[in-house]
Amino acid sequence: MAELGRAALVVCLGLSAYALLAGGWAIAAHRRRLAVSAQNALVAAFGAALVAGIVLVVALVRHDFSLVYVQRLTSRELPLGYTLSAFWGGQEGSLLLWLLVLTGYSTAAVYTSRRRHADLLPWIVPPLALVATFFAFLLVAIASPFETQVAPANGVGLNPSLQNPYMVAHPPLLYLGYVGLTVPWAFAMGALLSRRTDEAWIIATRRWTLVAWTALGIGQLLGAKWAYEEIGWGGYYAWDPVENAALMPWLAATAFLHSVMIQEKRGMLKVWNVLLVILAFGLSLFGTFLTRSGILDSIHSFTESSIGPWFLGFIALVVALSLGLVFLRLPLLRSRTRLESLVSREATFLYNNLLLVALCLTILWGVIWPLLSEAVRGEASVVAGPYYNFFLRVFGLPLLLLMGIAPLVAWRRASLRSLRGSLAWPAGIAAVVAVVLLLLGAGSSPAGLLAYTFSAFVAGSIGYEFVRGTRARRAVDGGGWFAAFSSLVGRNRRRYGGYIVHAAVVLLAIGIAGSAYDSVRSQQLSRGERMTVGGYTLTYRGSTQREVANARELRAQVAVERDGKSLGIVEPGKNFYPVEQQVSSEPAIRHDAMSLGDLFVILENANGDGSIELKALVNPLVNLIWLAGLVFLGGSLIALWPDPAEQRRMLERYALAPA
Amino acid sequence: MLALSVAAVLAVFLVYVSLAGGGTPSIQPSELKGRSETVVLGGRVLAGWKTTGRVTTFRLRDPKGTATARVRYADSLPDQFKTGRDLQVKGALQNGVFVAEPGTMVTKCPSKYVPKKSSS
Repeated sequence: MAELGRAALVVCLGLSAYALLAGGWAIAAHRRRLAVSAQNALVAAFGAALVAGIVLVVALVRHDFSLVYVQRLTSRELPLGYTLSAFWGGQEGSLLLWLLVLTGYSTAAVYTSRRRHADLLPWIVPPLALVATFFAFLLVAIASPFETQVAPANGVGLNPSLQNPYMVAHPPLLYLGYVGLTVPWAFAMGALLSRRTDEAWIIATRRWTLVAWTALGIGQLLGAKWAYEEIGWGGYYAWDPVENAALMPWLAATAFLHSVMIQEKRGMLKVWNVLLVILAFGLSLFGTFLTRSGILDSIHSFTESSIGPWFLGFIALVVALSLGLVFLRLPLLRSRTRLESLVSREATFLYNNLLLVALCLTILWGVIWPLLSEAVRGEASVVAGPYYNFFLRVFGLPLLLLMGIAPLVAWRRASLRSLRGSLAWPAGIAAVVAVVLLLLGAGSSPAGLLAYTFSAFVAGSIGYEFVRGTRARRAVDGGGWFAAFSSLVGRNRRRYGGYIVHAAVVLLAIGIAGSAYDSVRSQQLSRGERMTVGGYTLTYRGSTQREVANARELRAQVAVERDGKSLGIVEPGKNFYPVEQQVSSEPAIRHDAMSLGDLFVILENANGDGSIELKALVNPLVNLIWLAGLVFLGGSLIALWPDPAEQRRMLERYALAPA
Repeated sequence: MLALSVAAVLAVFLVYVSLAGGGTPSIQPSELKGRSETVVLGGRVLAGWKTTGRVTTFRLRDPKGTATARVRYADSLPDQFKTGRDLQVKGALQNGVFVAEPGTMVTKCPSKYVPKKSSS
């Protein structure tokens, strides 16, 4: 089996390299048949990667411990779902997943572009093949998942804290996102290589970018949910370098998804859009490099792998080639029009882009600061939460506000009078919310109060847009409100899907801002003693221990009351895993449907005298963060849903546009 | 306008960096001697650590050396804390003991990706 896997990877490397070289030669020498041959090789590379993937899945299911990879990450006792998740549980398997997803995306790009973008297709194959060749090379020469050994009786098993359903879905979604950003980059490079710098590549890549961006966004939220439930410190995001590694390309892709609209409508920002695609793809490679090289101290600590220098070299190559190509094509990337007014839709999108990129780059600065400071001063220094939180407020709050203003501003030039009329309702709602919150005492956190006020403004703006659009639709089509609403969204999926995503961001902002009003308390409690936190009274009733298959479970029984009313018992605890020599905190989380917050109880320590150290947090509104994920997914799917009429309109429009 | 916006963003960044400084030095036990400012101390946990109530005392050793430092941490320990684990904690040296700030301990877990061969 291992031989088959290894052979499949070698074949995949050969096919990818052929697609790169033949594809490159085909476009240089105008050889059409060779270009088709290169495309077919890239598709065949997907077949070879699929064979390698199937071999690894079979080895995992059969507990084939003669494969070092299978033995290192699984055991006979591991449930099947987690055994399968070990595919991406280790470095070599993750790289294979990268290759599989990349060649899969490439195959889809080849087939869909044969019909719609036949003239661009030969030019995007070499960039895609370049990336596939790199990953296939790593898998063949540096980090093979098919390394063999004399099979031991059992495997090492999976880290207990990773045996969680969210951890099964989180990495592959991140990979779908990271890898997906290769396709827009390849289209951008293809457009530059072919000198077709009109909007064709933008139209071709919008949906690809949306898929990658959605997967990356949902993947991050699942990771946050896992951290919240499994790591047990009461938070969900810690500005860890590896967490930031996924956030940065997402921010760059968010900026790109907005700025492409300016290029589509007004023919502006051509250089900026190409640079954003390069930034997003470069950051996705950098993110993979961070997680694989162990160059930075991170709680994830993937540590000391030999592929780091290869990645660094490849990133340098990709960035140098991409920027060199942009420089060569600068004369072709001149804007067709200029910004006419600072009060226009395109201007607000420009501000949005600047803020998103500023946030992205300040995070990047924080991530690489230990390396920079060591190189410059000879001593590494680190920045932590306060640095990132400062910039999240400084750039994030204006971004939130802009999200409410931009949809209401006209293209080209907006009159202040019409703008005043559009903004009146959202601004009125925001003002009322601000006053109510001030009266309720929310002024204790100015940033929190601003976030809520701006969120109310954006919600008002989105609502206003939906009401205005539905009313107009109803005037045209007649019928009921619901039919008019459905017709409105169905005919403008991209726009209204986008608004729903904005609503998700509002929910996310409210959920995150809720942390400004957290209550935390830690206390030592003997049996029968009580503590209060955020309106809850917690009484320690005693603790129990029990042995399960692979762990000893300790649980404290804590009675919860609020306003004199009993809310039942929660059982925070700890699990001790003797084989892995590891402790795992098992916090008790009690959701409150009314406040959308959580009571989060952590058993910190069980003392020898029978007392316990208990830590309790009240996290208001935190559940809105998870709800935001669902709304985000819904909005993205609506925006993604194929709209043949819009696609036809776009193609017709740009087929006529001067190149 | 674009240039002004970029300048404004840069100005915010530079003001923050100049006011808040360039981060916290990240050092090992061998570099701790004589320093009283707040630093991030990184090293490997030695055997013999002790927890009383919420306070844990332990020694950290250079990951690739022999120098050690005594650390006092008054907060709950992360799940991954144990002898031989590499970790980082923020604090300052006080009377020969590195007093760590609560909530600042970050353990480097031997993740599912690559086992730390050098860990004991």
